[in-house]
Amino acid sequence: MKLGHRQIATAGLLLGVALPGQLATAKKKDRNPVPSQIDPEKRAVHALNRLTFGPRQGDVERVQAMGMDHWIDQQLHPERIDDGALDARLAPFRTLKMNREELFQDFPSGEMIKAVAEGKRALPSDPLKRAVYQAQLDQYEQKQERKAENVASATLPADAIAKPDKMASDDRMYSEEKIQQVLDMQPEQRIATVLQMPAEEQRTLIASLRGKRDEFLDGMKPREREALLALNNPRQVVNDELIQAKLLRAIYSERQLQEVMDDFWFNHFNVFIGKGADHYLLTSYERDVVRPHALGKFEDLLVATAQSPAMLFYLDNWLSVGPNSDVANGIPKRNHDDWKKRARNSGPINQAKGKRSGLNENYGRELMELHTLGVNGGYTQKDVTEVARVFTGWTLKQPQQGGGFTFEERMHEPGEKMVLGHRIKAKGEKEGFEVLHILAHHPSTAKFVCTKLAVRFVSDDPPGPLVDRMVQTFLKKDGDIRQVMKTMFDSPEFWAADTYRAKVKTPLEFTVSAVRASGAEVSDAASLARQLQNMGMSPYGMQPPTGYSMKATTWVNSSALLGRMNFALALTAGKLKGVQVNPLIRAGESNPPLDAATTLADLENDLLHGDVSKQTHDTIAARLQDPQISQRRLDDPVRAPNVNAIAGLLLGSPEFQKK
Amino acid sequence: MSITRRIFLRNSAMAAVGTAAIPSFLTRAAYGAVESGTRTKRLVVIFQRGAADGLNIVVPHGEPAYYAMRPSINIPRKSVIDLDGFFGLHPSLAAFQPLWNQRHLAIVHAAGSPDPTRSHFDAQDFMESGTPGLKATDDGWLNRCLHDLPAPADKSAFRAIALGPSLPRILSGSEPALAVNNVNDFGVGGRGANATPMSNTFEAMYAQSVDSVLHGTGQETFDAVRMLKSADPSKYKPAAGADYPKGRFGDSLKQLAQLIKANLGVQVAFADIGGWDHHVNEGSTQGQIANVLTEFSQSLAAFWTDLGDLREDTVVVTMSEFGRTARENGNRGTDHGHANVMFVMSGPVKGGKVYGRWPGLNQSQLYEGRDLALTTDFRQVLGEAVYSHLGNRALSEVFPGFENQPGKFLRLFA
Repeated sequence: MKLGHRQIATAGLLLGVALPGQLATAKKKDRNPVPSQIDPEKRAVHALNRLTFGPRQGDVERVQAMGMDHWIDQQLHPERIDDGALDARLAPFRTLKMNREELFQDFPSGEMIKAVAEGKRALPSDPLKRAVYQAQLDQYEQKQERKAENVASATLPADAIAKPDKMASDDRMYSEEKIQQVLDMQPEQRIATVLQMPAEEQRTLIASLRGKRDEFLDGMKPREREALLALNNPRQVVNDELIQAKLLRAIYSERQLQEVMDDFWFNHFNVFIGKGADHYLLTSYERDVVRPHALGKFEDLLVATAQSPAMLFYLDNWLSVGPNSDVANGIPKRNHDDWKKRARNSGPINQAKGKRSGLNENYGRELMELHTLGVNGGYTQKDVTEVARVFTGWTLKQPQQGGGFTFEERMHEPGEKMVLGHRIKAKGEKEGFEVLHILAHHPSTAKFVCTKLAVRFVSDDPPGPLVDRMVQTFLKKDGDIRQVMKTMFDSPEFWAADTYRAKVKTPLEFTVSAVRASGAEVSDAASLARQLQNMGMSPYGMQPPTGYSMKATTWVNSSALLGRMNFALALTAGKLKGVQVNPLIRAGESNPPLDAATTLADLENDLLHGDVSKQTHDTIAARLQDPQISQRRLDDPVRAPNVNAIAGLLLGSPEFQKK
Repeated sequence: MSITRRIFLRNSAMAAVGTAAIPSFLTRAAYGAVESGTRTKRLVVIFQRGAADGLNIVVPHGEPAYYAMRPSINIPRKSVIDLDGFFGLHPSLAAFQPLWNQRHLAIVHAAGSPDPTRSHFDAQDFMESGTPGLKATDDGWLNRCLHDLPAPADKSAFRAIALGPSLPRILSGSEPALAVNNVNDFGVGGRGANATPMSNTFEAMYAQSVDSVLHGTGQETFDAVRMLKSADPSKYKPAAGADYPKGRFGDSLKQLAQLIKANLGVQVAFADIGGWDHHVNEGSTQGQIANVLTEFSQSLAAFWTDLGDLREDTVVVTMSEFGRTARENGNRGTDHGHANVMFVMSGPVKGGKVYGRWPGLNQSQLYEGRDLALTTDFRQVLGEAVYSHLGNRALSEVFPGFENQPGKFLRLFA
């Protein structure tokens, strides 16, 4: 087996040198309908590079054993693949399975706390939940007091105002000894002790833990861990678990194509986690809206996003009111006397009541520009306004407390609308479905969506004939995404020699592929999320609705490259908290240790399947004896090469930046 | 000032003696600054991403129509910082008032891109490529404006920089340009003893790579890493009175000031600030727009203080992809509009004046019946800065397809 590895490595070196030549000939033969194809031995590497977040050790052999067609078919039907190991990893993250109402109840938002403070909601009776509420109530009351003080002090001269009690801030931090006392307790006692503390002391303790957080939470049940973390910032728990899950899925799921597609569609229908209620809404958005339709019908996906609280909130449609609607005209709800009372709550009618009511174009525009037709898809400003009129009344019941979609007739603009030349007769909520149907089946949508898929899976500048074929499938098969994917994977352009390792990985793809290739064990993905933030690709962190770019030009620059090299070194040196890599790099397991040249060759196979250029190979080989690279002492009797340093150099190499 | 510069020179000279790895351009650049006596002129471009509401930033408080169209989000006349009896600054721009009084701040109203798009993405793309309506342009105008510009002493890796994790469209192109996310960890392998061999190995790998995408960027990156290590900008602390507010934008400008003060040959620089897309509850003197304007103006004012006498060589221009609807919408916010306002901050600018023709806000004067009409093309403002301040006369290359005659300039500069 070892010998076999080295043979592949040699083949890879040759391939690396031959690539530029192949590129040149491919360009000359532009008219040839069938591009020259990938070396058969490399097909499995290519498929894994593009359909997954990067091959793990042994994946290539597994795909080869299974047969390419069978493997792709299986990936296209993720429900047939057992993912029990991933499920077990995700089990401690309870929020992933909660519905919106539960999330808002267990991890109360500011509005929930306000409702309790004003006596509109009761405190939960469960002691853990109650503690979370009391901690937030305490903070809320302090804030109210400060506000009142500010109003009072505004009338006093500036120097008469007492300086805020900065002195007290030291007292507010917990001392090392006091923390240690808590850590020394049994888990049950630790929880009981914390629950007995006044709210402010609880927050102080949690905030003072820093590096000792894991130790503090050790031995507790997931429910207890979550509650204790929530004492300080409830919604952060929801967000952290969502981000953990995204990274753990990308790294460990056997349903890799499903994960790649989830990422693709989430990014296509992007919602930013930092906008108000969306802190709470993305868990359900990803789980209930994006994931079930990721390989289904495009129209179903589109309708699901249009009705999702996450999107309605993010693009403001929940607040859009028809200028001639009952709400705009101040006409009370017929047969219901309580509408005024309801309007005083945080519902949309309250925020949009009276003469000020009007359209909000935000969703109407992005629906056509980013979700369906594309910016050159043939719509006008008039269409944007008309679509906004159609979707008036598609709103939310108290989104800050977990409420869901509702159609509010009284916010809906009456009368006929004209969208893209279609006459939309007045029929309330159904107008929206009619417009979504038109958009989902529009040829511009097929072209826009298929091009975007081809950019993600094939090339930054995808070949026209490939996109055309995908568009045909999209239109013929009623927007069946699985069928479109099949068309793409069956196309010679997908397997063209010049696509092999030709696409630059995004930071997410790079980070996850490095973890997968190295076989690292991730017990806490927070450090990976931080690295992604540094590289400009924070999970769920894209504020504008465009989503992240999938093209090289966005991601190849000095800061990002340095970020990647540093990540590769930190990962392999075991410096990322919660990520253990050491024993899993196969070459390091050998006993007695292999010599440096063999180690390098093995790592080139393990991490890059031998696709290492002569330049990179020679550069590392020339430094293998440098004691600083190998980090070994000169009197080291074994003279073992530093496997981790070599692996770090390979993961940071130009070759590993591409897929 | 002269002391700082001498210390810098001594340090870099010592560094140059200490290692053969310092490229010759760096030592030449270090000495060149004194020998030639010429000072580097520079242009700093700030992008307000998300379409800032120009009408609530520089408020036409002399326009009755403004108050009629914005019943809940207008800036009351008593709250604006009056500039000339007709326009006034949003009160959260108080940090700009001293600059205005010293005539270091000029304003161009009803300015922007003439393209009718109301797509954030397209409009930003057009303002960065410098070719509104043309998507095929593959480089940015801030990169192109270096083509015909004599480089200071020698080409510096820091000639064109963007603060942030990725290189923006405006700086992409054939001239080397850098994205710097954090000046203090711009390097490989940290500061440990083992950092240099690792860094050298990566450098060799990327230098020799045949990959067309990664090779060039890799080389620029390592040139910059070496240069930055030698210049050590972290020792340039903000000047007295330069109080940068917390946040990404303030951090970006603080680091930019460090790079400029470290004499790294910065000629063009770019930074951006988001959070302007106020479709809902925009606010008036308080609220969302007030908060982001506070961060915006305090960061820029701190940057201005921090630059000290380098202000004479610096022009800062702000822009945003389009303005917002003249009327407020149904949610006390504003939707995507057309013309906007630009700030020009500079030592040599003829400030204390609002430039550009005001088109008015009456119904018949609005663009497509809803937005502030455009009377000054953004390329005219930037073209003048490129021509008069940077000294690049080839404006037809910087902004192809746009007739940018010096005779038509707003005469922002003396």
